[in-house]
Amino acid sequence: MTLPSFRRTKPEAPGVHAERLWSFRPQSDREAGDAVVSNFMLHWFPAKISKASMAWNYSFWLGTVSGALFFLTILSGLPLLFLYVPSVERAYQSVKDIEFVITFGSWIRAVHRISAHLMVIVVALHLIRVFVTGAYKNGVGRGQQRELNWVIGVVMFLVTLFLSFTGYLLPWDQLAFWAVTVGTNIASSIPAIGPAVRELMIGGRNIEQATLIRFYVLHVVFLPAGLGVLFAYHMWRVRKDGGLARSDAASVVEQPRTTDAVPTKTYTLLGVARGTAPTVTTRTLEAANTTVNAIPDLTRRAAIAILGTIAIVSIMSVFIASPLEEPANALITPNPAKAPWYFLWLQEIVTDTTIRLGSFTLNGAFVGGVILPGVLIGLLTFWPWIDRSPHLAAGVWLPRERRRQNLVFLVLILGVLALTFVGMAMRGPYWHLYWPWEAWPEIPGRI
Amino acid sequence: MSDNKQPSDRRDFLLKLGAGAGVAAIGVQAAASLRSLVPNVSYDAPTTVKLGPPSDFPDGLKFLPDERVLVFRDGNTFHAISAVCTHLGCTVRAEALPNPQTTDAAGTTLRLTHRFLCPCHGSQYKGDGTNVSGPAPKPLAWFRLMLAPDDGQLVIDLADEVGRDFRLTLG
Repeated sequence: MTLPSFRRTKPEAPGVHAERLWSFRPQSDREAGDAVVSNFMLHWFPAKISKASMAWNYSFWLGTVSGALFFLTILSGLPLLFLYVPSVERAYQSVKDIEFVITFGSWIRAVHRISAHLMVIVVALHLIRVFVTGAYKNGVGRGQQRELNWVIGVVMFLVTLFLSFTGYLLPWDQLAFWAVTVGTNIASSIPAIGPAVRELMIGGRNIEQATLIRFYVLHVVFLPAGLGVLFAYHMWRVRKDGGLARSDAASVVEQPRTTDAVPTKTYTLLGVARGTAPTVTTRTLEAANTTVNAIPDLTRRAAIAILGTIAIVSIMSVFIASPLEEPANALITPNPAKAPWYFLWLQEIVTDTTIRLGSFTLNGAFVGGVILPGVLIGLLTFWPWIDRSPHLAAGVWLPRERRRQNLVFLVLILGVLALTFVGMAMRGPYWHLYWPWEAWPEIPGRI
Repeated sequence: MSDNKQPSDRRDFLLKLGAGAGVAAIGVQAAASLRSLVPNVSYDAPTTVKLGPPSDFPDGLKFLPDERVLVFRDGNTFHAISAVCTHLGCTVRAEALPNPQTTDAAGTTLRLTHRFLCPCHGSQYKGDGTNVSGPAPKPLAWFRLMLAPDDGQLVIDLADEVGRDFRLTLG
């Protein structure tokens, strides 16, 4: 079947593209290549892509899903911009209105909240996948800079966390207020400059209007804009680095092998030459049977990942309500007072890392909240330069050459997960430990 | 040769001047923007606060949530301890001791009626504010108490930390 848009109205010529956007169902390699060259996402998609790098069980499409979740948070955030009032007197009431009064308000808020939480999870999983497959390593291509893209990815992960954290304060309820109290006090534990850093973050000595407007502007303008720019660059770099590292792994056959003559070669797609390809030997990557046209094969899978994400979040948002606690009250600290779940492992660490050497005491907030995460992020950032494994280990799940570093990395991840679980399920009043099934004791009211 | 070089030098100079001016303009703009975020005036609550007439304070402990401070009275003597945990700034809760104890606080005798527990990370403090367990790195602060000269109310200065031998004794 030919769709109306495929009907040619003008004669074809090299470099002239009849389609306004792209062909979703190209009928020839030429048309598939033209679809890439003529569309506005030229720099994102190659004309051809290796089948191996599109496998569901290699990347799990976690980057695409992260992008879809980011898109969803923006989409659901737009109506919230019209409804939310960033003032300490009215913020809580406006969120309450969104939740209970406005038509579809609770669903829109749930989409926003669930996609934000899922985004933290999926971005973290994406980072883990890239580490475990050594996909930050360069392969055989010239001028690859996958390390750079890894660093950008780490920055994007941190921005994602900060986006979520700044959004946490906006409902101005007890949960928000005390999570941000604890979070910003971690900053003030830095020796010498700490109190000044905290004052700059919250715009004064106490968490008040100045804090709310700062977090709001960061949440709705600076961080999403920054993440959007980084996201576009991150995607473009994937393209410039020759696609996923998996496609490099498929191409590291050192000897060219003979294949059947193919009717067209990549450069003929651009109209440079026509007819049968002049060579009949090729490296595996270039062999016709290992690659497919990016359009529609890549776009089809991306569409499945994106639409699937949207569907799952939309349905989850019908069933999972967003919490709204009592209005923020600076006078009463909830017991226990917990940080957002993705910072609970840090809260566990700051609880246990106060160091006492004689009369000298190092605040656990500084050790566990600044030094330790700083070291971990530093190691994570510079790991591509520390990792000396051969390029054959790039784009392969758990390769033998990287067994030891993968093991240490996964043990660290397990540690973070264990601490998160303890913080979520096992900490009760006064931060005492309880089994998840154990009832908490009655705590008498204040004084 | 110098005739040939001169125009390119001038162009080069003007190019650098233009680029430098652009960078400087953006830099100054960025610095000004950042500086504007450092508050010059604090609209936070004042640090010196009238707490009410001394007769409002019963023997023992009174918690003042607005100031996040614990005021103790033992007959005619008063002292005030901060209720802000020194770990991460949560408000500690007081728990009455079944048997009050007496301790030596910086050379003075102090009767301890309570201990303090932080709900955020489980730090524990003795009744004189000494940190005894949990992540709290230092004791709770003690603040200066005064009598207001105009109306005789109890006044606290939250910016003035004092030693643990501080007492306000009414005549």
